Amino acid sequence: MNYNNFFAEAKNQGVEALELYIVKNKKFSFSLFNHDLNSYSVADSFVITARGVINGKMGYASTEKVDKDTPKFIIQKIKENAEFITSDDESIIFKGSEKYFKKNLFSKSLADTSENDKIALVKELSNELALKDNRIYNIEAEYEEETNEILLINSYGLKLSSKGNYCYIYLAGFANDEKGETKSGYDLKILTDLTSLNKEEFIEKTANKIISQLGSEPCLTGVYKAVFNPSCTANLLRFFLDNTYAQQVQKNTSLLKDKLNKQVASSKVSISENPLTRNVFFRYFDDEGVATKNKKIVDKGVLKTFIYNLSTAKKDNVETTGNGYKGNGKIHTSLVNVVLKPGKKSEKELFEKVGNGIYITSLQGLHAGMNSQSGNFSLQSQGFMIRDGKLAEPVSLITVAGNLFNLFMNIVEVGSNIELQPSSYSVPSIIVKKINVSGK
Amino acid sequence: MISKKIAIEVLNIALKTGCDFADIYLEDNVSSSINMDNGKVEDANDEITYGAGIRLLKNLQSVYGYTNDISKKGLLNLASTLAKSFEGKQEVFVETMTKQKVGTKHQPKIDYTTYPKKDIISMLKEASDVMMGVDPRIVRARISFSYNKKYVTIFNSEGKEYHDIRSRGRAYLLAVAAKEGSIETGGSGPGASKGMEFFLDEVNLNEKAKDAARIALTMLDAKECPSGRMPVIIGNGFGGVIFHEACGHSLEASSVSKGLSVFSGKKGTKIASDIVSAVDDGTIDGAWGSGNIDDEGNKTQRNLLIKNGILNSYLVDNFNGRRMNEKGNGATRRESYKYEPTSRMSNTFILPGKSTPEEIIANTEFGLYARSLGGGSVNPATGEFNFAVNEGYIVEHGKISYPVKGATLIGSGKDTLLKIDMVGNDLKREQGMCGASSGSIPADVGQPTIRVSEMIVGGRGGQVK
Repeated sequence: MNYNNFFAEAKNQGVEALELYIVKNKKFSFSLFNHDLNSYSVADSFVITARGVINGKMGYASTEKVDKDTPKFIIQKIKENAEFITSDDESIIFKGSEKYFKKNLFSKSLADTSENDKIALVKELSNELALKDNRIYNIEAEYEEETNEILLINSYGLKLSSKGNYCYIYLAGFANDEKGETKSGYDLKILTDLTSLNKEEFIEKTANKIISQLGSEPCLTGVYKAVFNPSCTANLLRFFLDNTYAQQVQKNTSLLKDKLNKQVASSKVSISENPLTRNVFFRYFDDEGVATKNKKIVDKGVLKTFIYNLSTAKKDNVETTGNGYKGNGKIHTSLVNVVLKPGKKSEKELFEKVGNGIYITSLQGLHAGMNSQSGNFSLQSQGFMIRDGKLAEPVSLITVAGNLFNLFMNIVEVGSNIELQPSSYSVPSIIVKKINVSGK
Repeated sequence: MISKKIAIEVLNIALKTGCDFADIYLEDNVSSSINMDNGKVEDANDEITYGAGIRLLKNLQSVYGYTNDISKKGLLNLASTLAKSFEGKQEVFVETMTKQKVGTKHQPKIDYTTYPKKDIISMLKEASDVMMGVDPRIVRARISFSYNKKYVTIFNSEGKEYHDIRSRGRAYLLAVAAKEGSIETGGSGPGASKGMEFFLDEVNLNEKAKDAARIALTMLDAKECPSGRMPVIIGNGFGGVIFHEACGHSLEASSVSKGLSVFSGKKGTKIASDIVSAVDDGTIDGAWGSGNIDDEGNKTQRNLLIKNGILNSYLVDNFNGRRMNEKGNGATRRESYKYEPTSRMSNTFILPGKSTPEEIIANTEFGLYARSLGGGSVNPATGEFNFAVNEGYIVEHGKISYPVKGATLIGSGKDTLLKIDMVGNDLKREQGMCGASSGSIPADVGQPTIRVSEMIVGGRGGQVK
């Protein structure tokens, strides 16, 4: 595609600086229901997101349509929208970082595997899951593969590109207990190479998630010592880190506002962001074109930095941390490849350390039940009792309630069982000193 | 967007290998948005979404693809790629294409695209000032405004052609209140399938701004909600999210048809208490979730889901209907051409009963009055759900006693529906965005004030004895 017309039109219409951010996406997916192919899908799309500065203000527009009138339309909209901006935020189109750490992470092996082989693999997983336990039924299996190409070009001559691909496989099923109550469970694997899949482990884990909650009931209401599994820990961490975003701090809606270089979590907690880690989520430039870097956010419980994009950094007179990512239009802040530094104890050893307590494996309704600003949460949850240092009966239909900031202060141990989550967070299980559980 | 001739050619390519049905869905949409933070416009944006989706059905198998390239070449390419999924001979042939009547309801009187953006911004600024002026403890006022106009064209292998124009607008107001060490929020999000006249004549954003501020301030001074099992009075309007999540999703053919829903095979049986009747109505004039036709071209309907406690109807799309021997009932929706359409809700609500809300409160010795609910989620297999309470009060001796924050309602849909023991006469609908497999779509939730005789309430304020 030729983007020169956009830049020529921008010049014509007096736009001072223009940036185009083009994402090309290819998707391939299919799903099986009880081992039969149930849906199949292919897709090919692109979007051009444009922003431009005029009279010091930034206007935005985006399009999935490109014809001869598009550049003119887009530049007009940018101009029109820029005129309405009354925010004092600095409008910056970035000239470029000194150095970028580009890596090629495109997986040729994934791209070259035939569709038939992919379908055969997922069929095999679906069949194996059924064989694993005869109580499992209504098996759903899904495969989705995406290839994304990003191109960022601006009128200062900056041109950055990246291309990546990955797939995920989702396995789910139902089981009934003796009373006829239905439970469901699923597991998800994100892969860049199908040969790296440990099929047995994946099936074992999925079957366990489906079966292990059979017969579960609410536990007694009370205050418990708790272990949160990696997926729950990642969810809690995500909301905690929202409060490190400079835009929240600057707008007085973060309770971490005056906490820089102060204790915000237990000394067991060290958190870093490693966008340059070689994995599916690798990013070497953010959506403003700034080179990303690995960094410590919390070190032994002490908050080391807030998270910035170009405009929030300018406000605090600091350098951006390379975390400007696009929301709907405006650049917001986001984190990729966050790591909660693992400890030495296995999850089993965490249970032993807890002795008697609760193991939380699911937190539901976070978008509504978690107030990331006050940190108060009350969430539907399920898991297992921990008795005498071992996992005991399953519990469900309980709520766990507490305050996020207190919870991070109350982390007494971080496990060694680090797992990469679909959210890009790599986290192990944690022990929390106490949590309110509401059950029966 | 494309001619009949091209549509016929593309459909015949799609049908070449023996699928029994094919359709093309084309979309040309412009969305605009404005975000204001503390009275200042942070960004204004226009977005064009544009593309086509082609769907092939053969018995119980579906094949779907989409592209932005809606040239003849692009569509033929996509159709032939998709057709490779089947091996057989063409059995369905398309020769002619006949334009279908779709109706012209839900159209704007004042088109947003002709209304000056600066006047919209003045309206938002005024609401923002009103919100900030309510109390010095309101520290942040966020207001967003968005509208769109979408041209939809559908061609299918039955030789039917549909053209529809869909136009919607919505404001979202969020008030943030803070005092030492504590931050609470209150929100409101009015919207409609109407034009600017909705905000000029029907809704007063200044009043909505005051209400959002009032909720945030009430919650700032609220005690932590106690936990335990108790009667719960759920307020009208957005309180209907309980029904949407705990029942509505479980009535969608996508899960019902495969036996994945708690309500699979339950048609004609009692699933709710006798005083509960509920509908999904995509025909309400100008309502947020309304439309002339659904995304398969079927006319939208008022579907009576539950009649006096008895399950009367599911929400059915043509494809999943095949497993159920039912025809689509106008409930097939999708966010955009990037999603394969499936059965979804439109405007879903519990019908009004006889009690006044005052009577319901007066009849409650002790319980939680969840005046306004936040979002929630449900596991369709088990029907287990959770909701956050945005604005809650403890009721004691038949009176509202004190505000509580941090409450969560949990339970299972099938138990809760049976435990509804009072239904108010104050039906109200409110607007939301509903997310599921075919994307995020506008949907109204609603209900009158209702009482559930017992629910599990989660909170941090100690256990109720």
